[in-house]
Formats: sequence, structure tokens, C-alpha cells
Amino acid sequence: MSDRIFGAVGLLLAALFAYSAMIIEESFLSDAVGPKAFPLIIAAILAVCSLTILLKPDAAPKWPTLPRFVELVASIVVMVLYAEFLPIVGFVIATALASAYLTWRLGTSAIQSVVVGISIAVGIYIIFHLLFGLSLAKGPLGF
Amino acid sequence: MISKVVRAALAVAAMSLAPVAAQAFEPENPECIAPANPGGGWDFTCRQVGKTLQDLGLIGSTMQVTNLAGGGGGVAYAAVVNKRGDDNDLIVAASSATATRLAQGAYPGNTMDQVRWVGAVGADYGVIAVAAKSPIQNLTELMDQMKDKPSSIAIAGGSAVGGWDHLKVLIAANAAGIEDVRKVKYIAFNGGGEAVTQLLAGSVQAFSGDISEAKGFVDSGDIRVVAVLSPERLEGDYAAFPTAKEQGIDAIGANWRGFYAPKNMTDDAYNFWVSKIDELYATPEWKNVMKNNGLAPLDLQGAEFEKFVSESVAKIQQISRNIGIIK
Amino acid sequence: MDTLSSLADGFVIAMTFQNLILALLGCFLGTIMGALPGLGPSNGVAILIPLAFSLGLGATPSLILLTSVYYGAMYGGRISSILLNIPGDAPALMTCIDGYPMAQNGRGGEALALSGFASFIGSFLATWGLVLLAPQLVKIALAFGPAEYFALFALAFATLGGVSSTNQAKSAFAAMIGLGLAMVGVDTQTGVPRFTFGIVHFYDGIDFLVAIVGLFAISEVFIFIENRHGSADAEGKKVELGRLTPSWKTFWGSFPTIIRTSLVGFLAGVLPGAGASLGSFISYSMEKRLLDKEGTFGKGDPRGVAAPEAGNNAAAGGALVPMLALGVPGSGTTAVLLAVLLALNITPGPLLFANNPDVVWGLIAALFIGNFILLLLNIPFVGIFIRVLLVPPRILMPIVAMVSFVGIYGIAGSTFDLVVMVGFGALGWLFRKMDVPLVPIILGVLLGNNMESNLRRAITISDGDWSVLFSSPLSMTLWAISIIGFVLPIFVGRFIPKKAKKLPETVEEEVSN
Repeated sequence: MSDRIFGAVGLLLAALFAYSAMIIEESFLSDAVGPKAFPLIIAAILAVCSLTILLKPDAAPKWPTLPRFVELVASIVVMVLYAEFLPIVGFVIATALASAYLTWRLGTSAIQSVVVGISIAVGIYIIFHLLFGLSLAKGPLGF
Repeated sequence: MISKVVRAALAVAAMSLAPVAAQAFEPENPECIAPANPGGGWDFTCRQVGKTLQDLGLIGSTMQVTNLAGGGGGVAYAAVVNKRGDDNDLIVAASSATATRLAQGAYPGNTMDQVRWVGAVGADYGVIAVAAKSPIQNLTELMDQMKDKPSSIAIAGGSAVGGWDHLKVLIAANAAGIEDVRKVKYIAFNGGGEAVTQLLAGSVQAFSGDISEAKGFVDSGDIRVVAVLSPERLEGDYAAFPTAKEQGIDAIGANWRGFYAPKNMTDDAYNFWVSKIDELYATPEWKNVMKNNGLAPLDLQGAEFEKFVSESVAKIQQISRNIGIIK
Repeated sequence: MDTLSSLADGFVIAMTFQNLILALLGCFLGTIMGALPGLGPSNGVAILIPLAFSLGLGATPSLILLTSVYYGAMYGGRISSILLNIPGDAPALMTCIDGYPMAQNGRGGEALALSGFASFIGSFLATWGLVLLAPQLVKIALAFGPAEYFALFALAFATLGGVSSTNQAKSAFAAMIGLGLAMVGVDTQTGVPRFTFGIVHFYDGIDFLVAIVGLFAISEVFIFIENRHGSADAEGKKVELGRLTPSWKTFWGSFPTIIRTSLVGFLAGVLPGAGASLGSFISYSMEKRLLDKEGTFGKGDPRGVAAPEAGNNAAAGGALVPMLALGVPGSGTTAVLLAVLLALNITPGPLLFANNPDVVWGLIAALFIGNFILLLLNIPFVGIFIRVLLVPPRILMPIVAMVSFVGIYGIAGSTFDLVVMVGFGALGWLFRKMDVPLVPIILGVLLGNNMESNLRRAITISDGDWSVLFSSPLSMTLWAISIIGFVLPIFVGRFIPKKAKKLPETVEEEVSN
């Protein structure tokens, strides 16, 4: 069943892709092929593959239980929040918080997680900023 | 070893802090954005100017070069306008390609007066070249063949369709009396180097690019320059190249190289950068860089440069309209 | 002989105390950068350019430092591929396929050491190729016009069927997703934006590094979060480190593979626009096609580790040929090196060997030296690298996630890229669940733009005549290899029951659905 849904979504995706290709605005001067042809070929093959998956599905994978799924979504949210808050609170604080969360959710005790989180943040800061000289996000405290 | 490196880096950093008290403005972390991937003309401008400024002691610390590629410079332009409008430490490499895109409205929603134009560091004249073994000897023959059998001549260049390398061919074709420029067969490659390679490979019949991109291959005898798009013959090594004008085709295409800076940078900072580019331009070291890279003189800074850019934008707009690229 | 005496001069230039220290430093930093997800050879070199300039190094020492970083990163990429199933950069992608299963079977040390040797031999042969054949090799690059490049990229996609053979439709689906993602951004031919939805960040296209790190590293973290209870007891399980060097039998068994793939990788490297990723990809699929009689490839076959590593390191050497002799960068890294040369007032091109022999030969000598240093660094360090496996996943995975974020953020400074990367992570998790292979996606993202541009160039040159794609002997050969070597076997295998070993399984699956 999973593959059938997947194939159907793939077909929809191919249609959307083809539609977005059709509405590309061509300029006055263009090459012989133009900017639409290749994306349309891709959309066509994508549609054929999706149809094949839909008609000849594999066995369904084992999906996570609802609590596990919630856990996954939570970690995605944490990562997106991390990305958004990085330039605001600075690299070290944001990284310590995010990695402590992930460590904790992967089964480390809370206190240990805080220690691990801070170590990861400081360690990465030393390697990437002080050694390689990459500019990491500066927060109000300068790191 | 690593601590040595760190110490060296710290020493450089300390050097940059020292002169702060002495001058009205000194950039803390001078940065140059190259709006393209490493290896192109803009990247070259940033790195070469940054290095020479530092070698000469005109800036205290290393100029950090940031590559912010995309949209033919549009991503960098939008970033400077929207995000870094008041950054005093920042300059951005620009060239005729920037002006071309601004003129054709190819940076959506951006215009040339959203930044401050700092100065030029030289100009690279356009060349049209053919392979050394090509039967075509001069620009007139090339244009005649393009008129008679447009499909027999494919011209390679390093910019997209409608970009500067393409425009140069169209300017020449227009001057040679080719009415429908859509018949001119232009093939876009990722950069001049790739385009020259395909000329040598025989995939295309002619090449449109900058003189600096062509020089090595001319010296090695692989390609022949049929025209340089300058008002008169260049100096030194380049004097052998015939101009388009002397072949009766009145076409000039100069790719200037220079910088712009964020609109809301302080006047002190703007004046700092203008004067440093001016000082740089006057040094023999920079003259040497120009000579090595086939850059022709173009000594314009500050308000003069601003005026020059606005005129060239207007002119490109007019050409593009004449040949039908924009309405 | 002239060449050899020039090379000897090069060694005199390169063998100063300062240069050797720089090579050692470069190799060390390069290996680390290569191993960290997100920082590959091109970014590694770019990051260290300011260092070379701020130390006030001359042309030859700067190049020695930066090419050591380049070779070092090519070596380093394999480490995270083998130990974590996360490619440090695109060229190390194929090393995951057999490297990670080897590590899981307790043969991680062997895989690291064997791939280290393979990398060494690949680089070593490629550097000799550069010394002896650079001028002739340029002719190969000149034999490839747009139509031939298109045929070459088509060949790469044709071999996909052999690489991930579970479900061809899903493999092709993944390749199309990758190609579709590559279309996002401003059209390189005409400058019109495509699939950008008006978002200026997309004008630039999607950086393949963001895709790789998201699809591999972040999705790996999600898999661990999903299975926490399932594998929490993994901590209790004793981790098998295994032997640290391959047995002679394993080594000699892989030796012909290493030689063959060094050659293939080198040639792929010489072609501008193909590069190391294509080199390792074709190397792997060629060896699988040639040797995989028992179906051991993909399950931890040492030859499957040796092939891509010899291939991609040889390609790294090959990529220097067009850069030095034509001034055309064949890959992201050589583009950065080209910029460095220009900034040092050296113009690569046909006259470089004549005008700046000291720079060229010093550089080549440095490549030999760097390669030896890397071998000496890498083999004893296997015992240290392998200890990564002792770190429990509950601590290792957050480190992987954070290093990925830093690698991507540190380069472009864009939070937008980070969010896109997390999106790729979620997509990667879904695709792993659905058994959709991830390698074809990366291949599509990597090659999509080049493939399309060359198709359009070829058709434009021929005035709209599509038969130009099959008109030269070279392009016909490439098409023939893809069809006879890779596409036909998929279908032939399906219709001859005795040859298709998997037939019973497929029947079962069809029945069960």
C-alpha cells in the first residue's frame, strides 16, 4: 500500500514539475532547445517510474509507531529552530542546546546530556572557528 | 605547528587592530564579495585587489574573499541591498556584466542606485577569435560568412545568452550590417576557458571573450584574434591585434572591472575605499598586474565612476532595445 | 629524459624544510576536512587560501600547502563513508556502498587501510600520468565536444541500474528527482529563472553539498531517533574493531581492481566537467559489472571499497591536467586552485609549462611528496579513526548532526541552506524507508546542469538536428557501452529465468502484494 501511495504522489509531483516547466518565461533570445525541454523530459520519465512503482509495488516498509513518529517530528522542529536561532543567540549557545536535546532524546541521562551538549559546541567551535577560521554565527556574546 | 599558525593568524589580526586609532576609518574585517564561483573574473578582481592592497600595506589585514554565486551576480546584489546595506567593511566586485544585467532588468527589483559605486581598476577589451587553422583571416570575412550562411558559424562565449560575451558579438554583427541578430548562433559555456577549449576542439567556429581569457592561447599559437573591440590598438604585446574599427566595423566593447559598496555605508568608509582604490591604481605594482593580465587603463573613482556606470547602463539599455533583447 | 630532469629540479624546489612542513600541515588539515561531512576538497582549499596569503607564502609553497589539502581531503572523504555511512563529500559517495557494510561486519579497519592503499596507488599513478602525458592528454579533452559530454553523462546514468539493483523503477525515480532538483535556479544558458518560486535563494540552484549532507548525515540521525528503543541495546553490544590491515589475500584480490580503476578515474578526471565524482562512480559500476558474480558487491566486498577510492584519487590527479595545460577547471577544487594561481600572477594555459617550469614541476614534486605523507599518516591512524565506532550512537549522532550544520553554515553563512538541509534529511529518511536509493539523487544533482547544458549546446550547434548526439565515433562508442554494457543486461536478465537469481524473490513479492 505504501508504494501505491508513493507512486501516486510521484505522479502528482511529475505533473506539478511539468506544469512549472510549461510556465517558464522564455526570453526573446533563446537557444534551439530552450529552457523547457529538458525539464519536460525529466517529468515524463518521472511519471513513467511513478506509474511502475504504483502498479508493481514492493512490500510495505515497517513504519514507526505514533510516539516514535512524534519524536521524529519533534527533532525536525528542533533542527529548524536551531537554524533560525543560530544567528540570533550565537553559535555556541544554540549548538549546546540543540545537541543536548538530541543526545537526551537518543537515550542519555539529562545531566550527562547537558555536559555532552556543551562539549560538542565548544569542541566544534575550537576546530572550525579557531583552527580553520570559518566564520560561525556570532551571537550577542560574540560566540 | 598548529599553534604557530594560530599565532601567525593572531599576529595578522593584531596588525589590523593597531592603526585604528591613527585613522578616521579602518575596516576591521575587510571583505570582498565575488558574486561568482572561484576562478572567474569577479573572483580574480577580489583576490588580486585584496592581495595587492595588503602587499602594499594599504589595508592592515587580509581581505576575506567570499564567493556568493548565483543569478549572474543577482544573488550577491540582492544580499548587499537587503541584508548588508550598512556594512562598512564590504566591497563587491563588479564589471560590465553587472551593468548589463542591471540594464536588462535581470536582477529582479534591483536598480543601480541601490548601491554606491566605488571605482574601477581597469578594463578588459573584448576580442573575437578563431582557431589558428581556421580559413577565416579577419573580422570582415567572419561577418560576411555570418551574413551569407548564419548557421555555419557558431560562436562560443563564457556568458549566458544575452550576457556580455553574447552582446559583444551582437554589437559587432549589428555594426557589420546584420539585421536579424537572432540568426547569430551563440553557444553559452561556463566561463571563457571552457569556451576557448571548445574552439580548439572544433565544436564551434569562433570565440567571443575578454582579452585576458584569450592571451595564453594566442601566445601558444592555438587561436587567432580577428578583432579587438577597442577604440584604437592596444599597447605592448597586444599591438598586433587589429581593431574592429580599422576593419570598418565600428564596434567597441570594454569590460570594465571595479567595485560597488553597500548604499548605507558611512561616508568615511566610502571615502576610505574610494581613496584606497585610487591609491592602488596609481602604484607601479598594480600597473604590473594590469600589464600581465591585459587590462587596459580605466582610471575612474567615486563620483566619476558612479557617472560612468550610469552612462554605461543607459547605453547597454539602448543597445539591448535596438537589437531586441529587451522591449 | 628531459621530463625526468625537470622533475628532479622540481624535487629540489619542493624538498625544503618549510615546504615539507607545509605539505604535512596541508595533508593533516585536508584529511580532517575531508572526513567531516560538508567540508570537502573544494571548500577545504578555499578555507585555507587566506592562511596561505597571511603567512606570506610565495607561489610554490602556497601551491604545495593547498594541493596537499586537496589530496588530503580526497583521502579523508573515505573515513566517514566507511565508519558512519556518511560521505564527507561527493567523490566519497560510492565508498559508502561497500565500506559501511564492511565496518558493520567488523572489518572497518581493513576497509580503511585498503582504501588508503587504493587512494595512494590511484594518486601515484595519476601523478605519473600528469608528468608523462599531460600534453597528449589535452587531446583527449579536446575530443569531447558537447555531444560527447552528453553521451558520457548518459553513460553514468545507464550504469545506475547495476549499482542499486533492488528496484530499477525506484532507482530511476531517484535519478529523476536528482535531475529535477538540478533544474532549480537560473538557467545557465538563457538566464531565465526556473522552479525558483520567486525565492532569491533558489536562483543559485541547490548546492549538492546541502543535498548530500541532508540526505545522508541528517537522515542517519533521524533513523537513530526513530529506532532508539530498538538499538539502545547496541550500546551493550561489544563493538568489533577487527584487524587493522587487510590480509595479503584481500590486498592482492583487489590489486587488479585498483589498477583498472586508477586508469578509468584518471581519464574521467582529465575531462573538464566530469571530475572525481564521475570517476569514482564509473569505477565502481565498472568493477561491479566485471567482478560481481556472487552478488557480494554492496554487502561489504573489499573490491567495492578499493574501486571508488582508487578512482576518485586518480581523478583528482587527472583534473590537474586541464587546469594546468588549458586553464580550464575540471572540478570545484581545481576552480579554486585556478583562482589561487591567478592571484599569484601565474596564468595557467598552454604556455605554463614553458613560462613557469619551476612552479609546475615544484607542484608535481609536491604531489608525490604529499601522497607519500598521506600514506604514512593514514595507515597508522587507522587504529585511531576506527575508535569512532566505540563512541555510542547517542553521542556520536548529535556530533554528526552539529558538524553537518557547521560545515554547511560556515561556507555560505545561510540559515536558509540549513533549513533546506533538514528538509533533505526528512526526505532521505522517507526514501530510506521506501527503499529508494539515495546515490542516484546525488548523481542527478551533480550532473544535471552539465548534462542539460551540453545537450542544448550540441543541438544549437547542429541547428536543431538531434541526430548530432550520435554522429561522432566517440559518442557512438559511449552510447554503445551504456546500452550493451548496462541497459540491456537489466532486461535480458529479467527474461531469462535461469540467469535471474532473484526471480523467486520477485515472484514471491508480487504474490504477496
